[in-house]
Amino acid sequence: MRTLEGIGSTPLSGIGTARWHRPDADLTLPDSSDPSDSSAVDPDAERERFERARDEAREAIRQARDRAAERVGEEEAAVFEAHEGFLDDPGLVDDIEASIADGTPAERAVDDRFAEAIAQFEAMDGRMAERADDLRDVRDRVLRALLGAEAADLGDLPDGTVLLAERLTPSDTAELDPDAVAGIATVTGGRTAHAAIIARSLSIPAVVGVGESLREVAEGAEVLIDGDGGRVVVDPDAAQRAAVGGASAPVVDEHVSTADGRAIEVAANVGSEAELAPAADRGADGIGLFRTEFLFYDRESPPTEDEQYEAFSAALEAFPADRVVVRTLDIGGDKPVPYLDLPTESNPFLGSRGIRLSLDEHADLFETQIRALLRAAAREDGDDLAVMFPLVSRIEEVEAALAVVDSVASDLTKAGIDHAIPELGAMIETPAAVFLADRLAARLDFLSIGTNDLTQYVMAADRENDAVADYHDPLHPAVLRAIDRTTTAAEGTDAWVGMCGEMAGDPALTALLVGLGLDELSMSAVTVPAVKERVAAIDAEAATDLAAEALACETRAEVRELLDA
Amino acid sequence: MERTVTVVPEAGLHARPASKLVQTVNRFDADVSIGRADDGDEGLVRADSMLSVSGLNVGHGESVRVVAEGDEAEAALDAVCDLLSTAVEQNEADGGEAE
Repeated sequence: MRTLEGIGSTPLSGIGTARWHRPDADLTLPDSSDPSDSSAVDPDAERERFERARDEAREAIRQARDRAAERVGEEEAAVFEAHEGFLDDPGLVDDIEASIADGTPAERAVDDRFAEAIAQFEAMDGRMAERADDLRDVRDRVLRALLGAEAADLGDLPDGTVLLAERLTPSDTAELDPDAVAGIATVTGGRTAHAAIIARSLSIPAVVGVGESLREVAEGAEVLIDGDGGRVVVDPDAAQRAAVGGASAPVVDEHVSTADGRAIEVAANVGSEAELAPAADRGADGIGLFRTEFLFYDRESPPTEDEQYEAFSAALEAFPADRVVVRTLDIGGDKPVPYLDLPTESNPFLGSRGIRLSLDEHADLFETQIRALLRAAAREDGDDLAVMFPLVSRIEEVEAALAVVDSVASDLTKAGIDHAIPELGAMIETPAAVFLADRLAARLDFLSIGTNDLTQYVMAADRENDAVADYHDPLHPAVLRAIDRTTTAAEGTDAWVGMCGEMAGDPALTALLVGLGLDELSMSAVTVPAVKERVAAIDAEAATDLAAEALACETRAEVRELLDA
Repeated sequence: MERTVTVVPEAGLHARPASKLVQTVNRFDADVSIGRADDGDEGLVRADSMLSVSGLNVGHGESVRVVAEGDEAEAALDAVCDLLSTAVEQNEADGGEAE
């Protein structure tokens, strides 16, 4: 038994068989046969092997296409059609066959010809380099078929897999089947990285940032992922094994109140349609953050108004009696979307992103999204739709966004299309928004505090930079005061105040947050039952006292001490 | 025979439009080649090759020259030019790929 320490990312436990994901691993070819040896190669047999391998690869590509279409969407599945195009490229196939006819073993011929094409594409600009990745993908499928190697198909891992990786990309993670994957552990990465957030949304136990020691875990070893304690246990003993899956909180479908009767909405953050049903299953009181970026990723052009309408409708259908808060497109230089042609910025977190892009370069996308939202709000179950704008820092932005809503509404009226105005709110993520919270609350229906970005901006610490990870903690008194200032500013207005950052999903902080005056907490669905259980046990008055004491603390250490007491 | 057409799909001749082009060309008994309008004969590549077509790296709004020979050259030209001058969304609607 050996225990490795990391950062708990999805607070669930799982146990299974270690399997390394090595996307860059070479498919090692048999030793390059020396030319004098070529008589040993039977070109006819090699050509047949090549044909069979291609058939196998084609079959696998088609399966991947169908699965992507089913899980994500037709548009996203299109990349696999391109893969099939590369696989059957007549130029490529002719060259490989010619090389085989000259006595080259099939795998060598494939590897050499693809290497040539890959080098050609890589010599071109950024977009073409992505195509080189597609070619690698296709090459690996053919080589795997030739070598009889197993495919690292992340969507098709055997049950009980604990996936180990240097790092996982968001798209790797989105491909995982939560029923098959018992856990994830990575060498690098942090709790707020996008891949970690997706793993939480999929309820996959995860420990990230384990460091070099993770590399020593052997393929096939039995591994326990303790996402709550941030531990990876290799060869766990019987007691640890028995503890897995035992202690989780029961699902509560009803809305909950504190012991003394203050209602707290406990909602879920979701980033794709696939996460809606699991969120409902875990008893979420609606969606407190519906990220719309996923509608824009991994495709060649923006989603249409109808596609977006369908996505919002699916969310409303999943929560017919509860609120669904949709965040308008929140992208920037750090989240590349190829077809949007966003400029590379030296400091994307302080650049053109969120509402700034929506009101300027991408006003067209914003208008389309608002149209889809206004139409969705007119559905029978659309009364509970709410829309919030990300990264607000000026009142002018809110005025401009509201003007877009008005003008879209009047266009829809003219066109005779059913629509309604949903609840409208602003995200509180910047110090500017905190200072203006009273004005924002007066003009809008709600405020939602995004603690990941708020912490980053209040503490001036890049959330992706491990060197300043210590600053990136919402328990720093400055961040707590920013939260308090926001809730206090909304008192006496009709606006409700929610929180949709990762902080909201930590049951150890629930009492503090209730005490700080939040009406709604929205989190990864997996933590909903634990937070609901916690809310029901809280005395709101005692929580208010706790918050007052926390606000009086000068250091994070003091806050921690107070919470641990 | 040949024609010059402006590439309408947002993605240019990449990914989906490129694979659609290759699939379309393969439906006809014709040798079809394609290249940037400005690049002359030397810029022409075979249009039934995904590698060659995407290797052209043609973007949205660029002008391309399509040359076809063979029994179904005209039909192939019609189909290819039709594809290149239609936005992707419309292609989908026309092609009946249900959402």
